[in-house]
Amino acid sequence: MLLEIEGVSKTYRSPTRRGAGTRANDGIDLHVDAGQVFGLLGHNGAGKTTLVNQVVGLLRPDAGTIHIDGRDAVADPGYARQACSLQPQAQLPIDGLTPDQAIELLGRLRGGSPALVRERRERFVEALAIGEWRGQGGERLSGGVKRLVSFAMAAVVPGRVVILDEPTNDVDPVRRRLLWGQVRALADEGAAVLLVTHNVVEAERSVDRLAILDRGRVIAQGTPAALKAEVADDLRVELVLEPGTAAPAPAAFVRRYVPNGSRAIATIPATRAGEAVAWAESLRRDGVVEEFSLAPATLEDVYIELVGRADALATREKTDALAA
Amino acid sequence: MRSLRSYTLLIRWQALRLKAFLPLAIIVQALFALGIVVGYPLLFPEIDETTVLFLATGAPAITLITMGLVAVPQVVAQAKTEGTLEYMRSLPVPRLVYLFADLTVWMAIVLPGVAFALAIGVWRFGLDLDVIALVIPAFVLVALTSATVGYAMASVLPPTVAQLLTQVLVVFVLMFSPLNFPPERLPDWLQAIHALLPVQAMGEVIRGTVAASTFPMTVGAWALLAAWCVGGLGIAFVTLQRRR
Repeated sequence: MLLEIEGVSKTYRSPTRRGAGTRANDGIDLHVDAGQVFGLLGHNGAGKTTLVNQVVGLLRPDAGTIHIDGRDAVADPGYARQACSLQPQAQLPIDGLTPDQAIELLGRLRGGSPALVRERRERFVEALAIGEWRGQGGERLSGGVKRLVSFAMAAVVPGRVVILDEPTNDVDPVRRRLLWGQVRALADEGAAVLLVTHNVVEAERSVDRLAILDRGRVIAQGTPAALKAEVADDLRVELVLEPGTAAPAPAAFVRRYVPNGSRAIATIPATRAGEAVAWAESLRRDGVVEEFSLAPATLEDVYIELVGRADALATREKTDALAA
Repeated sequence: MRSLRSYTLLIRWQALRLKAFLPLAIIVQALFALGIVVGYPLLFPEIDETTVLFLATGAPAITLITMGLVAVPQVVAQAKTEGTLEYMRSLPVPRLVYLFADLTVWMAIVLPGVAFALAIGVWRFGLDLDVIALVIPAFVLVALTSATVGYAMASVLPPTVAQLLTQVLVVFVLMFSPLNFPPERLPDWLQAIHALLPVQAMGEVIRGTVAASTFPMTVGAWALLAAWCVGGLGIAFVTLQRRR
C-alpha cells in the first residue's frame, strides 16, 4: 500500500487557548494504492484539507501514523514533501510568472531534468488546452486557467502520491473533462492520487474508491458502486418547478425530500415508481412543476443520506449529553 | 548540489514574482532620500556641515531600513494571507535554502535604490564623500539585517499585526532614531534602548564607510548587527520549519 493513514487525529487549539479547540480530524484510517484515484468527499469544514496538510508535512497529527511507501511521513516531513506533490485548494498567486515558467520552475524544483520537464510541460499544456495562455502573465489569467496551471505544476514531475485539493473549481466543463483524463493518466502512470472534492457527481465518474468525511470522521468508505448499494432500492424524482412557484409538499411515500431553489429532489422506494410518476404528472398538470425525471439514485443521494444520518446522530448525542 | 540548484531556481521564481516591485522600490527609496535630503533642511534656518553629512549619510541608511522593516514584512504577510508561503513550504526544498533565496532577491531589489539615495545627498549638498572599501559589506550587512528582522517579524506575527507594526516602525525609524542626528540628542533612556536595537548601529556602519574621515567606525556596531541578523535568521527559520 503506497499511502497508509492510520488513526490520524488533529485538534486545532482555540485562539484564546481556552476551551477544547476544534477537532478537525478524529481517528481517520485511509489506504490508497499506487494506480488508484481515491476521492475524499465532505462538506466544507469536514476536515479534508487538514488531513491533506498532515500528509504533506505542513501539519503534525496529534495522534496516529502516516506512512508513504512504508516510510514514516510524520517523523520525516522532508521525505513527505519529496514523495507528495500538492495542488492546494487556495488559488496560487503566480503573478509575474507565465504558465510556462511556473510549470517549468516547479518541475525543476521537484528534481526533474530540463529535458524531462520541458517534455512533460508540453504534454500538459496540450492535454489541458491552455496553449493560448502559456506566455501570458499570471496576474492576467482567469481563475479556471490558473487552476489548470496549478494542476500542471503538481503533475509535471509528480510525487509517488499526488494530492489534488478541489482541482476542478472554476474550470469550464470542457476542460474539466480534459482534467479528469489527466488525473486518471497520473494514476495509470503509477501515482496514488488523493482527490479532495465536494463535487460528488464528478467524483462518482472519476474515482476508484472514496471516503466520505463528516466532522473529521470517515463515515463511509468503498467503491462508488458499493456505496451506492446503500440506496440501490431507491429512485430519485427530480422536479423542475414553474418559475415563481414554491416547492410542493412531498407525497406520503417520499423517503427524503430536498427542495433546492427552482428544483426539488424526492427519494422514493423503487416499488412506488408508478405512484411517483402519477404524483409528479399531477403536479405538472396543476402547473406547479414544469418537468420531471425519474432516475436511479446517485452517489450524491448516498452522500446526502449518510451525512444526514451522521448529523442526526451527532444532534442526538449532543441532546443526550445535555440531558445527562 | 541539489540545494544549490534549488537556490538558483527559487531565486528565478521569486525574482519573476517580484520583478514588478523593483522599479517601485527604486522610486520609493529615491523619494525617501529626497524627503530627507531636501525636506529636512527646511526645518532648520541654517545648517552646518555636520548636519549636512548626517542627512546625506542617514538617507541611504533609512531607505535600507524602511525597505527591510516595512516592505519585506508587508510582502511576507501578504504571502501568508494568500497561502503562497504555505505552498512554498510544501515544496521539496530545504527551508534554509528557501529563506536564503528569498533574502537574496530582497538584496537585489533594495541595493540599487541605495545608490540613488546616496547620490541625491551628494548632488544636493555638493559633498565629497570619503568612501572606503568596507562600504560593500556594510551595505549588504545593513540590508540583510533589516530584511531578516522584517522577515522574522512577519513570520512570527499574524499578518494584520505585522502590517500595523510596520507603520509604527516607520515613524520610530524616521523620527526617533539617531540616523539623521547624533544619539546624544536623545533622552538617556532612549539612548540606552538604541544601544541594543540595530537601527543606530546600521546608521553608524553606513556613515563609517561612506564618510570614514568624519565618523569613526566601531567593531561593536558590526557585531551588534551580525547578532541581530543571526537572531532574525534563526527565528524566521524555526517558524518556517515548524509544523503546527
